[in-house]
Amino acid sequence: MSFSVLVCDDSNMARKQVLRSLPEQLSANAQLAKNGQEAVELLRSQQFDILFLDLTMPVLDGLGVLQALKDENITPAIFVISADIQPEMQNKVLELGAKAFLRKPVQLEVLNTNLKNHGFI
Amino acid sequence: MSPNDICTDITNKLNTGVLIIDNQYNIVFWNRYLEIHANKKTDNVIGHNLFLVFPELPQKWLKRKVESVFQLNSQSFCSWEQRHHLFELQHTRPISTNSHFMAQNCTFLPLERKDGSDNVCILIEDVTDVCHYQSMLNKTLEELAQANRIDGLTQIFNRKHWEECLEKEFSRARRYQHGLALIMFDLDHFKLLNDTYGHLGGDLVLIETAKVISSLLRLGDLFGRYGGEEFAIILPNTDIVGALDVAERIRLAISKNVINFQESEIKVTASVGVAVISKEDNRHEDLISNTDLALYDAKASGRNMVCVAKQLVEVIKIE
Amino acid sequence: MSELNLNEDQQDCLQEIINVAMGQASDQLARYLDTFVYLKVPSIEQVSTLSLIETLSSNENSASVVSQGFFGYEGIRGEALLVYKPKDSDRLADLLGYEPDELSVEEQIIDLSSILTTTFLNVFAKQIDNQMSYSAPRLLAGSQSAVSDHLAQQSFNWDLALKVKITYQVTDYSFNCDMILFIPESAINNIKAVIDRILEEF
Repeated sequence: MSFSVLVCDDSNMARKQVLRSLPEQLSANAQLAKNGQEAVELLRSQQFDILFLDLTMPVLDGLGVLQALKDENITPAIFVISADIQPEMQNKVLELGAKAFLRKPVQLEVLNTNLKNHGFI
Repeated sequence: MSPNDICTDITNKLNTGVLIIDNQYNIVFWNRYLEIHANKKTDNVIGHNLFLVFPELPQKWLKRKVESVFQLNSQSFCSWEQRHHLFELQHTRPISTNSHFMAQNCTFLPLERKDGSDNVCILIEDVTDVCHYQSMLNKTLEELAQANRIDGLTQIFNRKHWEECLEKEFSRARRYQHGLALIMFDLDHFKLLNDTYGHLGGDLVLIETAKVISSLLRLGDLFGRYGGEEFAIILPNTDIVGALDVAERIRLAISKNVINFQESEIKVTASVGVAVISKEDNRHEDLISNTDLALYDAKASGRNMVCVAKQLVEVIKIE
Repeated sequence: MSELNLNEDQQDCLQEIINVAMGQASDQLARYLDTFVYLKVPSIEQVSTLSLIETLSSNENSASVVSQGFFGYEGIRGEALLVYKPKDSDRLADLLGYEPDELSVEEQIIDLSSILTTTFLNVFAKQIDNQMSYSAPRLLAGSQSAVSDHLAQQSFNWDLALKVKITYQVTDYSFNCDMILFIPESAINNIKAVIDRILEEF
């Protein structure tokens, strides 16, 4: 079964890292956003099932995206993937509605386990 | 020999102390170097608590340091420049130094054991020589720097350093819009004085003059020997009125001062030039120029007097 | 003078590696200091050694500079300069977990700088399958001559400096710190090779 995926990260390399760790059916039609602002606009105009979200981005950062989505009641399954792994940050992110927090560099097994746990594969 | 044997052999021949502790601060291993220098028996050391074996160690500080190694899994250091030594070990240097104990550079290394527990390895390096020579070098450099700034005869600033000071004061005055005054004075008929009393007499006059004038100046004023019989004073944060006051006191003090040399009483006067920083001055040399011209005026007008830079005369008349 | 001459992909890759290194290092630091470290994305820029020395020496009063050499495999090595402006030395000792009188200001700065440098570089090295060793950290007097003399004494040419601007903000205490990584030309080429290797995996 195919789900629509949006990957949001200011780093090209990080976006690629996520894509290549995803199973084929998810990565094939995945869309990319360079910053939080782009992501929110895409999420407003289209339906996405899964959002992979970085925290440290220009224009609008990860926390900003989470807040915006919460306010506007847009609810993809959000997996935060970040270099900033402090426990306080992890808690904040989960409070704002993310399903899970994954640390960078993202590992294939970890990503897939999380997707499995939430019924996407 | 197996690699293990080779390592053990080398470790015990090293000219560096190797001490390994576990995360309970018990000593797991130490090498022969330490056995010799610490003058303790290995049986009384291995398996015992580090702080019981070496009570001189600053416990709280050291625990914090070792914790950082465990937690961050990263090396840490302590050099002799921060703490002369940690472990009280005799040094074996032939030279005598200030301390009985060896100066040490210590390195703290994280070691991972196969069973998962962590140890820390402390390397102790004898740097007594370095410490000794560095201290001597510092002292000599200090003395050299001092000598480089001071005029040997009069013990006030030499020209080079004095001019460097002026450069700094000039830019500071410009930057913060402060006042800055310069006084230059030259002893009158000094060549004649030298011919009459000889160089020893001349030297004494210079020395005494410098002393007398030094006592008239404030803490921030910078007094230097500009030439053979020429002196200069930088007065930060001073306007023309203040500078004139000081200049006149200088002229008066010199003219009144009697210098006892051998059987004679030497009297001398000075010509004094004064100037303050003005908008037209671009560099500190301009200020020196103006003051120098004023000094020349004082000479030309009969000596034993104070003259002010020409462009300031108008300013004073108004005040 | 040589330039890093990274193309967009290489630049992006390096930035990402540094971000991850910063994130992990901050986390370790936060746990160690028992506080929260607010992290800003570190900016990376190449600076010429000359302009850097000028910048360092123009700050007469405030800068403390700690230098520490690092060396790893594959010729990747250099020197890390931490330019650091402590605002309140009492707080610093407190931050590190010491009583204020337990150690001198110099020791505090050296300790903190060493922690910042080694935690960051350790994680950075791990990202590129490498491992770092370090020389003892040294506090350089803040004067211009001390810094430029020190650099001049290095055995290799400082062609290039990579300035990684790190801002650490810990709750109720903030300090800024510039970490400048001096890298000789040979090491630059090695780093490029590593970056290319990583990019090839994609």
